Amino acid sequence: MLNRDRVPPLWLFAQAALVAAAWCFTDMETGPGAGVSTQPNGDRFKIEGRAIVPGIKTQDWVSAARVLVEGEEYVGFLRTDGSFAVNDVPSGSYVVEIITPNYRFEPVRVDITTKGKMRARLVNYIKPSEVIRQPYPLQIRASGPQSYFMKRETWGWTDFLMNPMVMMMVLPLLIIVLLPKVVNTNDPEMRKEIEQSMNMLSPNPELPDVSELVTKFFSGSKGSSKAGGSSKGTRPAVKRR
Amino acid sequence: MAKLILLCLNFMILRSAVEAVFEDQVGKFDCFDTHAQSSKKVLLATESNVFAALNTRTGDLFWRHVDKTGPEGNIDALLQHGQGDFVVTVELTELLVALLKAGNSLNCLCLLDAVLVVGNGRLLRSWEINVGGLNWEIVLDSGSETVDYQAVYSDGNGEVYAMGVVPHSHIAIVVYSVEDGEIIKQVSVEAPWLSNIQTSCTVIGPGMLTCMDPASVSLFMLDLHLESEMTQIPLQTLGLEVTPGFHPVLVSTQPNPAQQPLSEFLLQLGPEQYLLLQLSNGQIVTLRDFKPAMLASFATAGEKTVAAVMSPKNKTACSINLFNAETGRRLLDTTLIYNLDPNGGKPEKLYVQAFLKKDDSVGYRVMVQTEDHALAFLQQPGRVVWTREEALSDVVTMEMVDLPLTGTQAELEGEFGKKADGLMSMVMKRLSSQLILLQAWIAHLWKLFYDARKPRSQVKNEVTIENLSRDEFNLQKMMVMVTAAGKLFGIDSKTGSILWKHYLDNVPSNAAFKLMVQRTTAHFPHPPQCTLLIKDKDTGLATLHVFNPIFGKKSHITPPALPQPILQSLLLPLMDQDYAKVLLLVDDQYKDLSTELIWEVVIPTEVQKIVSIKGKRPNEHVHSQGRVMGDRSVLYKYLNPNLLAVVTESTDLHQERSFIGILLIDGVTGRIIHEAVQRKARGPVHVVHSENWVVYEYWSTKSRRNEFSVIELYEGMELYNSTVFSSLDRPHAPQVLQQSYIFPSSISTMEATLTEKGITSRHLLIGLPSGGILSLPKMFLDPRRPEIVTEQSREENLIPYAPELIIRTEWFINYNQTVSRVRGIYTAPSGLESTCLVVAYGLDIYQTRVYPSKQFDVLKDDYDYMLISSVLFALFFATMISKRLAEVKLLNRAWR
Repeated sequence: MLNRDRVPPLWLFAQAALVAAAWCFTDMETGPGAGVSTQPNGDRFKIEGRAIVPGIKTQDWVSAARVLVEGEEYVGFLRTDGSFAVNDVPSGSYVVEIITPNYRFEPVRVDITTKGKMRARLVNYIKPSEVIRQPYPLQIRASGPQSYFMKRETWGWTDFLMNPMVMMMVLPLLIIVLLPKVVNTNDPEMRKEIEQSMNMLSPNPELPDVSELVTKFFSGSKGSSKAGGSSKGTRPAVKRR
Repeated sequence: MAKLILLCLNFMILRSAVEAVFEDQVGKFDCFDTHAQSSKKVLLATESNVFAALNTRTGDLFWRHVDKTGPEGNIDALLQHGQGDFVVTVELTELLVALLKAGNSLNCLCLLDAVLVVGNGRLLRSWEINVGGLNWEIVLDSGSETVDYQAVYSDGNGEVYAMGVVPHSHIAIVVYSVEDGEIIKQVSVEAPWLSNIQTSCTVIGPGMLTCMDPASVSLFMLDLHLESEMTQIPLQTLGLEVTPGFHPVLVSTQPNPAQQPLSEFLLQLGPEQYLLLQLSNGQIVTLRDFKPAMLASFATAGEKTVAAVMSPKNKTACSINLFNAETGRRLLDTTLIYNLDPNGGKPEKLYVQAFLKKDDSVGYRVMVQTEDHALAFLQQPGRVVWTREEALSDVVTMEMVDLPLTGTQAELEGEFGKKADGLMSMVMKRLSSQLILLQAWIAHLWKLFYDARKPRSQVKNEVTIENLSRDEFNLQKMMVMVTAAGKLFGIDSKTGSILWKHYLDNVPSNAAFKLMVQRTTAHFPHPPQCTLLIKDKDTGLATLHVFNPIFGKKSHITPPALPQPILQSLLLPLMDQDYAKVLLLVDDQYKDLSTELIWEVVIPTEVQKIVSIKGKRPNEHVHSQGRVMGDRSVLYKYLNPNLLAVVTESTDLHQERSFIGILLIDGVTGRIIHEAVQRKARGPVHVVHSENWVVYEYWSTKSRRNEFSVIELYEGMELYNSTVFSSLDRPHAPQVLQQSYIFPSSISTMEATLTEKGITSRHLLIGLPSGGILSLPKMFLDPRRPEIVTEQSREENLIPYAPELIIRTEWFINYNQTVSRVRGIYTAPSGLESTCLVVAYGLDIYQTRVYPSKQFDVLKDDYDYMLISSVLFALFFATMISKRLAEVKLLNRAWR
């Protein structure tokens, strides 16, 4: 019984909505389709258009949206189908914006002549006279959700490893650890060879520091070779525990 | 007639972080509840041109639409047109509220429209209530004359009657089709005595437009369907008497928009007298006389229509009863007690939502609107479901006051404050205060431990006046707000809860308010003290209200009566012996103090007029005296504390000849330090004056865009007298640098951030019409921004000049929580140098913290404690292990 009661209103509404939608539609076509919007009150005109948020139902966003013409000088609201009309606007040049907290719309400049001829163009504040035509009645498509938040810096191992400071520390360490393994420094012949090649690199006898440094380096590397060798020792140590 | 505004506000106070507004912080700071969509809605249309739908269960907003300010956005009438078996009430009063009940819960998705008349009767709008979107909007055609459309009526046959009046001439009636808004017919009826339909007319019974004419004390009736002439019925013929000087008011009801209104109606004859009347066969019959009755209104549930009458019970409470509308009989068990708020105003309007109970009797809830713009929603027998402080949507001025120290902290302070009286007693005092601290600490620990055992939901940290105390970094403050309705509020800045409220009756409707903090909480044991100067704009007569900003209580100090109009008021930096700053009031008699003209700058009024004068804020600190240039030399700032920025606008508003001017005048000597003129520009001009700079924003008529301009003043490479600044001894004129930028939006208001020591860099906080609060670094408004980048400018970190300033949505400090119609932004320093507290107020109130130079003195809240501690532990263990390994290795080698 309840159902029977409820059906007619719903159906009625659907009809009403259809009629309303049709009305909006016809109005839009008769109005500025030709570029002229005539209104009863002589020098006052109507800015019309439609706003679209791709992928989102209009019901979900129109209640928070407004159409602002030149700041808050003229205000319009969106219909449930996303179309809008701002009434009572005198001739002039205006920036029309759709304002919603969650979606971003690009503003459009609308010029209205004293006779009511309309045109829409891109907003360019630096060259206000430049004309790049936009469709009129306005078709404004949201360019995406508003991004209010900055990305937080996340911490990951890769970030840590790719850090230049870390790379600068890790690479020499690797060389220190691995080089003695590749080259057997305990072999005296090898050592001589290296020393010779180093001396070749710095033939100036007044700078013996380099060879000294090299020897120092290798004597130091002995210590580190111990550390490197310690990796072998780890296993028994662990086993012992 | 009591003037009423119902302002709708989305009252939210939230804290969040700027500069690093990260999405995961949103939930952290918000105190937002989402409620399941309920079918019960209250529709509000307000005098500040807002139309909104409220949830009757919680009082929260479903949606809200803000029209433009001024008469063109005014909502003149509201009509509900719906399909389905639910009740619709139409009330054409100054506050238009329709309480509607959507039948049973199965009908939740009922489809409803509301029709609004907007903008002095120019526009007719139809709203889809569930979505909050527009169905259609049309411009009402008034023909040659200007008809003021004030009322809408529909009897459900698909026609809407828009009724307008040409004052003292005739009534114009236009009939529209509800479905598509097309005009069906237009009529006009002579009514030379009528000036306003809304206040004097209503529709009764079978389309009878009934009007009250207080001059001839008679009723006029017109059948809308026949459109004949109006018939006059003097009230005396009905045996009724009107209280002298009272404008009688008619109230009718239309239970169902698909049917005509009832033939019963209410007539208010005096401030405390209502009559229930019935129109039958053209005759008016009295059904019941309610006396005393403060308020009365109709409500319908199912087929039954009732009249709710509020009558005084005692001094602190009123009782509401229901009466059968058709007979005037009182219904049993329908009494509801409404307790009057001692800090609130008198009830002013009554709205009733009636429903049928299971046993077919009538139950109801009421919404009471009081003089102080508060709404309370009650149910039987007197439980308050929710209240809304709508006065907060019209905050005029505010101050932030530091919270007092706790008792123990104050005790410690007291120790240092008193004079020393011997070594021994000092030691004892110190020991006792330490003991108190220890005691407090143990109590705190105990509380923590005790709370930790309880489930999280039960732990309530409610802030009340009793447990208010300053936090470690002075981030929590008391916001003292003064509203246009004359109601004062004390709000805790951390939670946004109202801690105290105080309604000042007898505040004139056109009052100007000035709130001054005479004594802060720093002077224990003297209580903090605020003074509110309330001045009637027309007469200039003023009253003072002195109160304690923490508790809201009126001070025992009786302010002097001010019989003379006040010309000027000023809070002097001098303090009296009780540490209260001295308030200077200048009236037109100059009796006790005489004033003397020191200097005069003549600004020709026929060419330009002064719009605003801005000095620097007295609590502003500048940390660095100059700027280090690229070549390591120092450019010293011109820091004149007496400098005033005077903004003028041209009287000629033609777009070719209009200009705005800015004069920088030394307040002590009257010397004009600098003068700048912006040609082909007009206001409104927004100015911020701080440190050594002035930033102003104006509209460029030539290029049709908003522009920012910044002026900075420098002493030069050498400081004349670095120890003290004297306006009388500054022989060199400062160097002036200026630069302008394009701003891609108009602005509503502008303010600069403020910090404790002035070390932190500055940001400009800009309220935009879109509802966003933009935090723009002052770095972008720097007249030294170079056009060509050089080594030196790079050294100085100057951003290369670009003509257009960019609005980045990441700079919005309130993300998607928009603040509609921002009226002002208040900034206050906190105890942390990096942090500035910001309150933006308009229709909404938004409180947050901003960190212009990021949080350099606090660990970030995403600080990775886990990482740091795990690295430390890892290193510790690594050393332990390697030590052990080295030992093993040494041992092995020794064996070798």
